[in-house]
Amino acid sequence: MKSETTSRRNRTSFWFTAREALGIALSELRAHKLRSFLTLLGVVISTATLIVVMSVVHGLNQYIATHVADMGTDTFIISEFPWTMTFEQWLKAQRRNRPVDIEEYDFLRDTMQASKHIGASATLSLPPPAHYGNQQIDEVVLNGVTPSLIDIGQTEVLYGRYITDSDYLHRSMVCFIGHDLLTKFFPNTDPLGKEILVRGLPFRVIGVAKSIGTSFGQSEDNFVQIPLTTFQKIFVARPQLSIFVEAWSSGQMAALQDEARELMRVRRHIPYSEADTFGINTSEALMSAWQSLTGTIFGATVGIVAVFLVIGGIVIMNIMLASVTERYHEIGLRKSLGARRSDLRMQFILESSVLAGAGGVMGILFAIILTALVRAVVLPASVSLTAVVVGLLLSCLVGLFFGIYPASKAAKLDPIEALRMEG
Amino acid sequence: MELGLASSPSPAWSMPADGVLIRTVDLWKTYEMGDVQVHALSGVSFEIRRGEYAAIMGPSGSGKSTLMNLIGCLDTPTRGEYWLNGQLVSDLSDDDLAYIRNREIGFVFQTFNLLGRATALHNVELPLIYSGASAEERLARAREALDRVELGERVHHKPSELSGGQRQRVAIARALVNNPSLLLADEPTGNLDTATGLEIMALFDRLHQGGNTILLVTHEHDIAARAHRVIHIRDGKIDRDDRIR
Repeated sequence: MKSETTSRRNRTSFWFTAREALGIALSELRAHKLRSFLTLLGVVISTATLIVVMSVVHGLNQYIATHVADMGTDTFIISEFPWTMTFEQWLKAQRRNRPVDIEEYDFLRDTMQASKHIGASATLSLPPPAHYGNQQIDEVVLNGVTPSLIDIGQTEVLYGRYITDSDYLHRSMVCFIGHDLLTKFFPNTDPLGKEILVRGLPFRVIGVAKSIGTSFGQSEDNFVQIPLTTFQKIFVARPQLSIFVEAWSSGQMAALQDEARELMRVRRHIPYSEADTFGINTSEALMSAWQSLTGTIFGATVGIVAVFLVIGGIVIMNIMLASVTERYHEIGLRKSLGARRSDLRMQFILESSVLAGAGGVMGILFAIILTALVRAVVLPASVSLTAVVVGLLLSCLVGLFFGIYPASKAAKLDPIEALRMEG
Repeated sequence: MELGLASSPSPAWSMPADGVLIRTVDLWKTYEMGDVQVHALSGVSFEIRRGEYAAIMGPSGSGKSTLMNLIGCLDTPTRGEYWLNGQLVSDLSDDDLAYIRNREIGFVFQTFNLLGRATALHNVELPLIYSGASAEERLARAREALDRVELGERVHHKPSELSGGQRQRVAIARALVNNPSLLLADEPTGNLDTATGLEIMALFDRLHQGGNTILLVTHEHDIAARAHRVIHIRDGKIDRDDRIR
């Protein structure tokens, strides 16, 4: 008899129940805007956090991939500090490491036979102002460079020429300018041969660089490059250098780095037992450090998001329990009309999922605004579709999970008791 | 009558040739109040035939609400048998009872019990949702049921936009929509003024003439007098069973 009854039973329309739950959840949201917002705050914050972090990391990954990998897999840089260090290494390096000076550059240039190109650059630590006519740029990045730097591919000539060996030898007052100076100082005129003033000193423009773009919200085109020898003569007598070494192939990189390291250690008389007092940096090392950093960021984010989601879920469970209590009468009525336990369970679980999902949607909107702000101010960031999908799915799942208890409470109600409650 | 007492749960008369819709055999309902046992029903046996228009009357505390809950399959008896439309329903599971309520019984409540945020149409659709009817079928049958109670013009109104009598008619349409074998009305005019109450009772008369079996639960003599048979309950027992017409 029982099995006969059950088997004759048709399935309740899932989509109808889903639509009804959606309608109820949305009207509850509309009716109590502030309460709903506070209820969903946990889910909103966690979804937003997740998406913003994913977006920023995603954007930085793209940035690093295009800009850092730009340095190429064939080039390494010798400078005072390694780019990637543990905290202890950093403390030690602060005490022991010494800047790379021009004699060391000369030594490496003359001694290293296997490199394809070797160059060096120094940067004035306090960016000077630049003038042309009555136009002024308050701060420009001023680099002293060797002529070989153009071959290593850090910049490209748009027109004119780069600094030559002759400029370098004669400490000429010439400059190679970034694209920003072209647009600011020479919107309609040919800059070649004109003299601009950098910290009040005249430099003749010999070439203009191709535009590079922006990174971290800063223009990369706002620079003036002059011969390193001129830089020494006028600005800093003993500049701190970054030496760029390019290998013939990536296969030669390891050997070339070993050679450079040995030469530097010999030159600095570093005993066998001691660590380097300089850093040899590759884009690969930076990439791997970056990846381990993003791993850590992700780990921390997952932890924070999990905590917020649990808090958000508990709050939703609480509000759903209140909603079940408020609607005893309706539950009793539905039971009297033939709703089974499973029908009511599904109704309330769907409702709580929709509620949490709405929190997820709010979180996504919040994250999109936040990401746009971040992109405008500091970092490259773009909201990825994956992040949005993951965020929405996760918030719905939280609603589903924390809806189970209130829903089964509703499902188990005795119809007579429930109907007796005031509707 | 003896057939119903068979101890085997298999239905001895699965298709009642005699036209009996409801048969209760020695129904008991006992509540435990601490150490005291309270008998809300103590051995109620009666039959209601298909097409009958009957009223159950009794003062409050007589056990008539308990009896209505049992007949409405909202509750199960402590002892005894309850056969509805050829099925022994007195010891079915929760979900099977829900199925019986959905298919066999149309409830009409004193307080209408409509969903306030839903339209008349949606309210009438509700039982069909739980019987798994398709969307088109639900819509067609809900509209038809609303036409039967002469509310075809007001399908998209919410309960708050309807008068008391109209609300009760929506509730009656909801009770009719699944073509139940029994219409079970609990004080259907209790919240209505006299004129509107008479309208509703006239509607019940028409439904009865259309072939519906109706069971009214009331404590008002005027209302009970509309039925063809009045069963008086007192102290959990049938006191009198009068056929009026």
